[in-house]
Amino acid sequence: MTLANATPLPRILGNIRPRPRWREARLIALVGAAIVVGSISLELAQRSDEPGVLRGLSPAEPFHLLVYLGALVVAHLAQVVTGRRTDQVLLPAVGLLGGISLLLMERLPQNLVVQHFGDSDFGLADVQLIWLVMSIVLATTLSIVVRSDRWLRLYKYTWAAAGVALLLLTFVLGTEINGQRLTLSFGPISGQPSELLKVILVVFLAGYLSENRPLLVEESTRIGPIAIPPLPYLAPMVAMWAIALGIVVVQRDLGAALLFFAVFLLLLYTATARLSYVFLGLILFLVGAWVMYQIVPHVRTRVDIWIDPFASPQGAGYQVVQSLYAFARGGLIGTGLGGGLPTVGGGQPGGIPEVHTDFPLAALGEELGLVGITAILGIYLVVIERGLRIGAAAGDEFRSLLSAGLALVIGVQAFIIAAGNLKLIPLTGITLPFISYGGSSLLVNGIVVGLLLALSDRGVEPPPPPRPRSRLGRLAQRAGIA
Amino acid sequence: MTRQPVGRSIAHVGLALTIAFGVLAGGAGYWQVIRSQELSTAPDNPAVVAAARQILRGRIVDRNGKVLASNERDENGEPYRVYSSKIVSPVVGYASRLYGSAGIERSFGAELTGLSDPDPIRNLLKKFQTDPYDPQSLTLSLSFELQRAAVRGLGDDRGAVVMLDPRTGEVLVLASTPTFDASAIANPVTSKKAFEAAADDRAKPLLPRATQGRYVPGSVFKIVTAVAALGSGAIEPTTTFPGQQQAERDGLVVEGFRIREHGGVPVRRFDLAHATEVSSNIFFALAGLETGGENLAEYAARMGFGAPLDFDLPTAVSQITNARGSEPGGFIDRVELANAAYGQAETFVTPLQMALVAATVANDGELMRPHLVTALTGKDGTRSLAPRSLRQVISKADADAITTAMVRAVEGELGRQFTPGAKVPGVETAGKSGTAELGGRGEPHSWFIGFAPADDPQIAIAVLVERGGRGGERAAPLAGSLLEAYFDTVAP
Repeated sequence: MTLANATPLPRILGNIRPRPRWREARLIALVGAAIVVGSISLELAQRSDEPGVLRGLSPAEPFHLLVYLGALVVAHLAQVVTGRRTDQVLLPAVGLLGGISLLLMERLPQNLVVQHFGDSDFGLADVQLIWLVMSIVLATTLSIVVRSDRWLRLYKYTWAAAGVALLLLTFVLGTEINGQRLTLSFGPISGQPSELLKVILVVFLAGYLSENRPLLVEESTRIGPIAIPPLPYLAPMVAMWAIALGIVVVQRDLGAALLFFAVFLLLLYTATARLSYVFLGLILFLVGAWVMYQIVPHVRTRVDIWIDPFASPQGAGYQVVQSLYAFARGGLIGTGLGGGLPTVGGGQPGGIPEVHTDFPLAALGEELGLVGITAILGIYLVVIERGLRIGAAAGDEFRSLLSAGLALVIGVQAFIIAAGNLKLIPLTGITLPFISYGGSSLLVNGIVVGLLLALSDRGVEPPPPPRPRSRLGRLAQRAGIA
Repeated sequence: MTRQPVGRSIAHVGLALTIAFGVLAGGAGYWQVIRSQELSTAPDNPAVVAAARQILRGRIVDRNGKVLASNERDENGEPYRVYSSKIVSPVVGYASRLYGSAGIERSFGAELTGLSDPDPIRNLLKKFQTDPYDPQSLTLSLSFELQRAAVRGLGDDRGAVVMLDPRTGEVLVLASTPTFDASAIANPVTSKKAFEAAADDRAKPLLPRATQGRYVPGSVFKIVTAVAALGSGAIEPTTTFPGQQQAERDGLVVEGFRIREHGGVPVRRFDLAHATEVSSNIFFALAGLETGGENLAEYAARMGFGAPLDFDLPTAVSQITNARGSEPGGFIDRVELANAAYGQAETFVTPLQMALVAATVANDGELMRPHLVTALTGKDGTRSLAPRSLRQVISKADADAITTAMVRAVEGELGRQFTPGAKVPGVETAGKSGTAELGGRGEPHSWFIGFAPADDPQIAIAVLVERGGRGGERAAPLAGSLLEAYFDTVAP
């Protein structure tokens, strides 16, 4: 909606001149082949106990496959037709992750999620397919329509205010599920605002940091040998820290808090290249973590489980222990899609609870093995690398920081949940981007990819000339610092 | 306005994330490769639990092919375990749907259900087969007949007998009494009642005494002291102690504490063989002090003390001291060391550990890994598990000297009085009895360890009878009859 208000449509689309994108086409063909092979392997595994197995090779759920691959091809063609010169690796990479997600959801018990629309019921894979396609549509639309970053650049405080409002709304009106207050419902529509919040956070930080970068880089307050940011600019860091702690206390959402603070620190470093700020942030983090451990029982439980889940394999540590068992069963090469234990599903006793949202990596670890996990981690690195590359090549600091921040949001989130699954850090309940089941997560990550694609386009509107907008910025300029 | 392009710091951030994801891959490797085998065969892993319900476990047979464990099906067609006799329950254990598993059924659970192949390569390739489960049948080195003789010999007493081949480490007898009805625990109908009755029994039938019971050893521990004393060079077989004659009469004063000899030891100076024959506390206290705590601990550890034994079943840790002291070896003072040297301080041992001490001496000072499972049989045939040497504990010469001493303890003129009935007729027998004083008024534990034939040992034995009286009264005659049964039945 903000889009439509910002700029009239005809100017947005500009002159349409089709332009081939061979690299993307080849990569999508490769990704498509991989997903088809995976689907056939899944079907074989699910039919293996029937007599006369090799009647022929057919994919599992051919309709799902067709729709998903069709969506990828349409997304590609849309960019070709509109002649966009956007990044050609991002879409195939994300498409592969989405394809893995689709195969995983087809493989899990379908009754984990059941949605009713009219007379028909939709199971886990059906619903996930709908969200995946909507996510691709959203990403493609944004990549084609967004021709200017002004609507993000100019209104950063408005965005920040909207973000805070969203957060407060969740604090007050949110529905509590499993002791966490993360979900906001309006009538039939419900979603997790913290997913959207992470994008808003990056937009605000990109704006704020790019504007105040000279000051943050040049000036510092020294306490002995340690350089800390000039005191007025410490305020955002402390505010960010307080917000993160607030999320932990009120929403009990460790994952989002960790994600926000980590992205903030990484962006702060990107803008200033000062390690001392990162150390300061880490000290704040440790202090906050210690205090939280002392006063929030939920945090203490999580940390205790992390330290030794095998102390209570049937109690608090059950989920993590089952996850580790699944990884162990997978071994080096895995059991193959569909070849893991039927109990992997969340419903039955013996399975991993919430496998489709919190532990997709464990299920994939069992069925694809270390080889598969390494490949998936590699694809995430490709996505991160493309995003950072777009940032490094961007025309000005705002775009650089925005692109890098968007890539970091995906990368750090993937790291936090993967590390939680692997017992490297305490488990948090955030989603694995592009793979976990869930509409909010998929749509918001679609927005992230769409913005990254738009920012990578060499044809977009050039950034405006630098002009310090804040009072402090002008003061700095006058003082001859800039 | 731009001082330094952000591209550089973006590259740093990219590098940091690359490292972070590398760590993730490392974490995945840790769980999926290094810990994989251990975790995927853990008894509460859903894969193992599910398999246990549906898969026919492999059979367990003794060295002559006698079936010890097999399967039957309940009215739902789900299999459950049946065991041939109560006498093997402490070894074979049980596999129950309600109460999990114990014994060989537990430690070889993954192989019996076919979830894991002992061959790592085949284990990896298993995933490509349509039916990945290949339950293995186990052949044990156990001799059902000898085991039965041992359980009968223990009778109503609580105790344990271990017999093993010192040349290979094959365990032929691993008896504990009282025993329990494993079939009743495995049978889904009687499971609850049988298990609760066994668990509540004050005689603790569920405790496998041979591997997990810890007892004061008394004089059988003197063989450990002899091993350490000779092995470290602290004494020679001919060494005598000048002050001994006096000490035999008046007691040995160590740091103000007076150690007294038991009755029946002549008052004179003698060497290792004579001291062993009459089981002199004074001689071994002096030998232990000469050897020092550090050497005693070191040679005991070489035979398995101080850590769970490398064995097919879980074992309790045998100790020579609580190791709370600051003296070498963890002793509190020289008094504790002197008492430990003849097996009467904070020394606690398992019967299996003492059998290994006898086996080490019998096998020319070389300790073989004790084992029960000798072969696994699956779809692709039988795989034998070869005997494995753990280490050379002492030299053959030292082992021979101790053998000579142990022969005197059984066959010598004075020795016979301490070990009546241990001698196998027509076979030169080596041994040592033990009487573990427990303080208070109760009867002591009765011990015997030994082996035969002394010149070419084929069988080593450890017998413990709880509150059985003096070593010579209960354990020695039982050991003698079991050794004789070995030569009558098992040995060709």
